Amino acid sequence: MVADTQALPLAGKRERTLGRLGVRLLAALPLILLVLLLPAKDDNFSHVAAYAAIFVMVGLSMNVLTGYTGQISLGHQAFLGLGALTGANVVSSGVHSADPFTFALGLLIAAAASGGAALILGAVALRIRGLYLALVTLVFGSVFSDTIFTLPSLNGHDAGVPAYRPDALATEYRYYLFALAMVLVCVYVDVWVRRSKVGRGLIAVRDNELVAQAFGVNVLGYKLIAFTISGAMAGLAGGVFAFWEQAFSDKDFLSVAGFNFALTFVVMVVVGGLANRGEVIAAAVFFALVSPLSPLLPWVADHTHWGTFYGNNKFYISNVIGAVLLLQTIVMNPGGLGQVIGPFDSWFGGKKFTLHDPDGDAGVGAMEDSSVRA
Amino acid sequence: MSVLEVTDLTIRFGGLTAIDGLNLKVDEWEIVGLMGPNGAGKTTAFNCITGFYKPTHGRVFFKGNEVTKVPPHRKAAMGIGRTFQNVGMVKSETALENLLTAQHTRAGYGPLQAISGSSVVRQRERDLVAHSEVILDLLGLSAIRDKRIGALPYGTLKLLELGCALATDPDVLLLDEPSSGMGPEESDELGERLLSLRQELGVTMLLIEHHVPLVTAVCDYVYVLNFGKLLAEGDPESIRNHPEVIAAYLGGEAPEALEQTELPQDQQELAEATS
Repeated sequence: MVADTQALPLAGKRERTLGRLGVRLLAALPLILLVLLLPAKDDNFSHVAAYAAIFVMVGLSMNVLTGYTGQISLGHQAFLGLGALTGANVVSSGVHSADPFTFALGLLIAAAASGGAALILGAVALRIRGLYLALVTLVFGSVFSDTIFTLPSLNGHDAGVPAYRPDALATEYRYYLFALAMVLVCVYVDVWVRRSKVGRGLIAVRDNELVAQAFGVNVLGYKLIAFTISGAMAGLAGGVFAFWEQAFSDKDFLSVAGFNFALTFVVMVVVGGLANRGEVIAAAVFFALVSPLSPLLPWVADHTHWGTFYGNNKFYISNVIGAVLLLQTIVMNPGGLGQVIGPFDSWFGGKKFTLHDPDGDAGVGAMEDSSVRA
Repeated sequence: MSVLEVTDLTIRFGGLTAIDGLNLKVDEWEIVGLMGPNGAGKTTAFNCITGFYKPTHGRVFFKGNEVTKVPPHRKAAMGIGRTFQNVGMVKSETALENLLTAQHTRAGYGPLQAISGSSVVRQRERDLVAHSEVILDLLGLSAIRDKRIGALPYGTLKLLELGCALATDPDVLLLDEPSSGMGPEESDELGERLLSLRQELGVTMLLIEHHVPLVTAVCDYVYVLNFGKLLAEGDPESIRNHPEVIAAYLGGEAPEALEQTELPQDQQELAEATS
């Protein structure tokens, strides 16, 4: 019983009763069906859904770094891109399908490479906070992308590196299910980070480094752990991204496109609510659907005669939505989506509906202490 | 053998000598007080002992080993626990989570193992929760187990912070003004609690404290600092009547100043505004 309450992902909502669990399962059932069945409709749906899955992985990656540890990263496109580049280069052989072993190896090396790169960034940024950290990660992201991704030997001499999937994952829907499995891997890691001493250490570092040290947390070491876990998750997402596009193209991660990614990643973790796993996932799905690379918008544009408008404003749509939501979040509900959903959630669980959480909101605290607020 | 020994500790910040040649010794099973007016260097001494500051010179020994240059988190792991002047806890977390965080070094598994979520980790986590509950029970704080600490009153926070320091499983506990924010009755209670903690857990303590009745009640030995220098040392009774100590605290005209009871600043302003 004790372990059960401890195991809850959302801090502060600990009195979970059996009845509530039943209600939740019942409520989750349509959601699970939706996630599994809707993308099965046609290839286009599956393709969009897999893209959202990639964003969710990046969201979870940002959740570890920004949500738990309070370290902002404006260079996360570099880790995503490095993962994609590595994954594509490992399997790139010119044949039209990869063997499953090389494919798995590609994803593993992608995660390892980005984890390593993030470790380096972490080591550089160890003692930097707030605005300066934002700047350092921003510069790291763009310089890293502009130098590594443009190397002709790595990016297929500007023509892109083909990244064919194994035969078993050839269809879009199957690949989506695979991406979903990778999301579950990231969720599993995130859950155990949060439940174990690692997450508590990271949160202590975010809230107060002195206290963390007094509790025996190696602050510098734990920041590096956060960067590495976050980088590895983003790298894995990058690998999945490369096979989703079936190619690595440096254009996706350079200049405007790259920065757009980086910005979206930060915005989605803040709008979702720092350190609120479920809400970050929801926000990631949303931002995936409106991002410039999203296959959904062209589809909408085609079907509603918005083609010209969309074509001219592709990069701005997600930014405008993102900016508005970011402002709304910071001013009105710094706890993010979690703070908005919280009252309904506890009402759903049989408690009184109140906009004021008597125990305070963890997400608000996370915002106050993190570098995001600079 | 002394648990904690400080020899010739000196620390300078620029031109300011915050602590000048401090010698201090805490024996096992002792509760030692560290007194001194504001700015005397008490908290600085704590920070040097716990590794947050690097002393300019001088040495710190813990259980006979020199630990002067050991970083704070490793000192915490070795068994030097501390509390902070302005409540040092993770404020976005609940009381229970804080106690779990404080048991960081006792978790008994590594970060990689933690992410794997293996059965060892699950079992250890259950043990940590059980131990946290014992501490909550010991301090009579079971009712706030799942309360986020940002919403708790100051006195409760100080007590919970003591609990967190205990949760780090210290051999010596450095308490920075444990009775601040407490009324006379609460601080009497705290004194009894400290004594009973020593009785039950065998913790040696070094505490910074201004509250004279508390110091007299719990301390076996007292050091008094003034302007970074050791002014006096001895048993609480002799310190209490030490003329230099009285002068340092009250600025010379000791007897009159003792009588004077001063209103806190905000109440003074209120009184002026209403009159």
